[in-house]
Amino acid sequence: MDLLTGLFTTAFLAGGVLALAALGEVLAERVGVVNLGVEGLMAIGALTAIAAVAAIPSPTIGFLSALAVGALFGALFAFATVILRANQVLCGLALTLMGSGIASTIGRAYSGMPARATFAPIEVPLLSKIPVIGPAFFSQNILLYLIFIVLPVGLSYLMFRTRHGLNLRAVGENPAAADAAGIPVTLIRFAYVTAGSALAAGAGAYLTLTFVPSWSDGVVAGRGWIAVALVIFAGYRPIPAVLSGLLFGFITALGFVGQARGWPIAPAFLSMLPYLGTMAFIIVPVLAWQRMRRIMAAPAAIGVPYYRDLR
Amino acid sequence: MPGEIHALLGENGAGKSTLMNILTGIYQPDAGEIIIDGYAKEFSTPLQAIASGIGMVHQHFKLVQAFTVAENIHLGWSQTPRRASAQVLEQRTAALAEKFNLKTHPGARVSDLSTGEQQRVEILRVLARQARVLILDEPTAVLTPTEARELFKALRQFVAAGNAVIFISHKLDEVLEISDRISILRGGRKVATENTAECNPRMLAKLMVGRDIVPADMRRRPADAAPMSTDPVLSLENVSAIGDAGNETLHGISLDVRAGEIVGVAGVAGNGQRELSEVLTGIRPVSAGKILIAGKPVGKSNAAAFAESGIGHIPEDRLHSGLAPALSITVNAVMREYKKPPVSSGIGYKPGAATALAKEIASAAEVSIPDFAMPIRNLSGGNQQRLVARREMRIADKVLIAAYPSRGLDVGAINTMLRYLVELRDAGAGIILISEELDELLNLSDRIAVLFEGKIMGIIDNDKTDIDEIGLLMGGRTQVREVA
Amino acid sequence: MAGSLRLQRLPSASPGIVLAARAAAIVMALVFAGIILAMTGANPIELASEVVDASFGSSFGMEDLGVLIIPLILTGLSVAVAQQIGAWNIGAEGQFYAGAFAAAAVGLFVPGPPALILALMFVAGLVGGAVWILVPTLARAYGNVNELITTLLLNFVAILLVYFVATNAWRDKMANSATPRLSAEIPEFWGSIHWGLPIAILAALLVTGLLAFSRWGYEVRLVGSNPSAANYAGVPVRRHLITVMLLSGAIAGLAGMLEIAGTVHRLQGGISNNYGYLGIMVAVLARSSAVGVIFSAALMAFILNSGIILQTQGLTTSTVLAITGLILFLTAIGDELAHYRIARDKA
Repeated sequence: MDLLTGLFTTAFLAGGVLALAALGEVLAERVGVVNLGVEGLMAIGALTAIAAVAAIPSPTIGFLSALAVGALFGALFAFATVILRANQVLCGLALTLMGSGIASTIGRAYSGMPARATFAPIEVPLLSKIPVIGPAFFSQNILLYLIFIVLPVGLSYLMFRTRHGLNLRAVGENPAAADAAGIPVTLIRFAYVTAGSALAAGAGAYLTLTFVPSWSDGVVAGRGWIAVALVIFAGYRPIPAVLSGLLFGFITALGFVGQARGWPIAPAFLSMLPYLGTMAFIIVPVLAWQRMRRIMAAPAAIGVPYYRDLR
Repeated sequence: MPGEIHALLGENGAGKSTLMNILTGIYQPDAGEIIIDGYAKEFSTPLQAIASGIGMVHQHFKLVQAFTVAENIHLGWSQTPRRASAQVLEQRTAALAEKFNLKTHPGARVSDLSTGEQQRVEILRVLARQARVLILDEPTAVLTPTEARELFKALRQFVAAGNAVIFISHKLDEVLEISDRISILRGGRKVATENTAECNPRMLAKLMVGRDIVPADMRRRPADAAPMSTDPVLSLENVSAIGDAGNETLHGISLDVRAGEIVGVAGVAGNGQRELSEVLTGIRPVSAGKILIAGKPVGKSNAAAFAESGIGHIPEDRLHSGLAPALSITVNAVMREYKKPPVSSGIGYKPGAATALAKEIASAAEVSIPDFAMPIRNLSGGNQQRLVARREMRIADKVLIAAYPSRGLDVGAINTMLRYLVELRDAGAGIILISEELDELLNLSDRIAVLFEGKIMGIIDNDKTDIDEIGLLMGGRTQVREVA
Repeated sequence: MAGSLRLQRLPSASPGIVLAARAAAIVMALVFAGIILAMTGANPIELASEVVDASFGSSFGMEDLGVLIIPLILTGLSVAVAQQIGAWNIGAEGQFYAGAFAAAAVGLFVPGPPALILALMFVAGLVGGAVWILVPTLARAYGNVNELITTLLLNFVAILLVYFVATNAWRDKMANSATPRLSAEIPEFWGSIHWGLPIAILAALLVTGLLAFSRWGYEVRLVGSNPSAANYAGVPVRRHLITVMLLSGAIAGLAGMLEIAGTVHRLQGGISNNYGYLGIMVAVLARSSAVGVIFSAALMAFILNSGIILQTQGLTTSTVLAITGLILFLTAIGDELAHYRIARDKA
């Protein structure tokens, strides 16, 4: 496989992980809840997928189990933050610690084993023959299409062109206004936080079922946090979030290519690229353009628990 | 009753908003019934109340600032089409605006609209859902006198069609002007319901408060009061300032206050009052012009330096800017004096001395405090305001800038606050009083300046003016503005 | 209805109830961990007594605890200090590594008498930590960029950097993934606990004392609680934000220096047992008093030590992290629920 094709292929794979996690976080933050547990959810999802396919060699089952477990933990987090109204930052950090810790502990039994079943690539007729893009995008596994086409387009449509989407965005901007308009604030927050958590776990499953594909301690390596940062950078919108994920996939891919090609930069420094790149992406735009602050503005009521009886 | 405008009168804390929150499904009653069209109804969610034809325009608008007018109108509305692009929503909004004769820009972002315009959006929202009972909570707080008159006209049209309006207010004159019947709430109970024709202000005030209130003549000075100085103690000369959004919010303001004088600043909220009070207290730098304290020009703006020069500040939003709600009463009380002995010795900070100072302030404010270490947000709004006022009065040798000091307070607390201002004036300080209550300004000020869109429209002697003239200046001195 | 009960939320929770809620959170989390252990076939009571014996029963055990407490006091202090100004320093882990890196540079390449080297290493540790938090600090101060994520991302970079120098540039020819022994080391104070412990305790007392009894401390607390009010009072908000965040980074960096100069004696890949992240828990529990920081650090050290002792049972430091996460979760819930009380309506 020549360099460019390899680059693109890796970019879509690596980027897919970030994109899916970012999509999940967009859902949560759009209804006003910061979910800092994405890193932990990805770890749990990654492990669940490996464990599931070790038992039943179907990647679909693996992916779905990860979604289910993610939803479970997400519901726990949502219960604490939306219903009990505990501090979202602390609960999110706690979720990351718990998720990473549990995954590490249980994962020792699966360490290093390749995934028993992975998603097979699907060749799209005709399109997969296009040079570079063909193999990179149109001969990939089915989840890729889900992550890069179905979900972002679907969620974007839902959020910005439907009545339901209007209501859900209102919950994140001004829950008191949404409540007075008759929108079920608590229910919507709970549902979308749980759904977002499921997607985050799914991203972990994507990691260990297609990209790596195996489990090892620390395999998530901060991708969950990069995803959270990407959501800010993407202005809390589904399509830019996915594109940002892809961009980061490229940066990661560049690092791999560098290592494989024996570039004179040490692998450790190439591995730093995604993290430094993320920092650059959230710092530079804000400092460079004043306008950026309005475009990248978070939903106004993000991070603030909603109490109906405090007007 | 259909076709009626029924006013709900009561001071802050009497229970008006709570009652309306029950009627609109936000709270649930512990006892009693709501009867609509002869049927008893229960509203466990706001949606049910809306479905029964009850629509409320809250004092603090329930609008999503980042959304457009069209998006806000269609929020949570069962009639919004499932697939709703921005165009579709805007078209529908334009049609509604036509139907109800309320001018508005469907595609405009709410945060860009004036408060009067935002109120119109709220009203349109409520009318679109076929409200038959319109509840308005303190609607004229954000309107100029002209805009208020327009609102009244629209309300009369509304009830002429057989609908009803519940008009919540604490302003006696308004209530007498607009309503057919008045109900007075006090301490969570209804005290009386009267036909407006049979009421007068004195009687209403007595019912609201429970005792006879004799308005004092606040402008009369006692014999030993400090006289008004000839030279100003604080003056702004052609001052301009840039607001948070980056554009100029104050344009060429010239204003001064003399010792022993109260200068009132009238104007609808949002015309630059916040920036004005920030410039007067050194929080915001000026982009042009000069500030002089006792005749000497001030260099760089510095809130601490202004305070040390004897300028006190009762801020507009005490919880947001004048206090740290989560910190203790002691910490909040010494916010102006923590750098000086006895609270400070060199670089140190002595908690014991701080508490002693806090106790002094609390006793001057006549607030009884069980535990000075408890967060100040545990205190009532009135108590917080009194503490802030006395804290500022201690350092305000020259001037006190008081921004909306009576906002959110009940009649008793308001009286106390105004007494403090008079006390300070008689001790020889100058006072700049920024307020939206014209009665208050007319009652206290020696001169009144009117602020409109960041400019001073005029400074008039209190003795030589009346409410209509001020109202015109507040509205920009043009004809009825087409605010759409 | 006369005498009906109602759930009421108070604007502030009374400190006594909060303390009780946190104690309950810790107990519940440990009990839960015990139940999970029991489900995997181990006997939790036995294990618990084994842990207590191993920790407190011998001087070796106490020394192990003592060594663990040192970095935890400092990382806890670091996060707590940042909290005072209203910032989340999740990067204590990275600053720890950065401080260790800087101190190791001195200890490996700067010639001189041990006393001088130690002093220079001390300064290097502080500077390394402060430099590592500098970019997030400036981004927050001038661009209002959320420091939680920026400090955290640098953790990964710091770990990679140290891994690189330990396995490549500064590698000891005979070892695989560590540098040669540093030229100076902190002398021992009690058993194998080095003087870093009194230094850490002193740092905690000094910093919390400053916050409570100095004008600067008053201003910092005001900024952290309500920057608008601080602005109103003329306190230089941005200057204090920068100073305190740099201080926070420096303290975490010092923790790294003490660890390699006192305990490990060389720079290597895994010098931290997640001290930076456990420091967050210490800070949350401690609520800004020196006693609180020391006590919470001791508690976390005990939990961490238990994890190490029970490695034979399949526990790892990751398990400790998971339990810590559970404690944090329950603490967050408890803190919120502590605001509620049951009120009886009057007739």
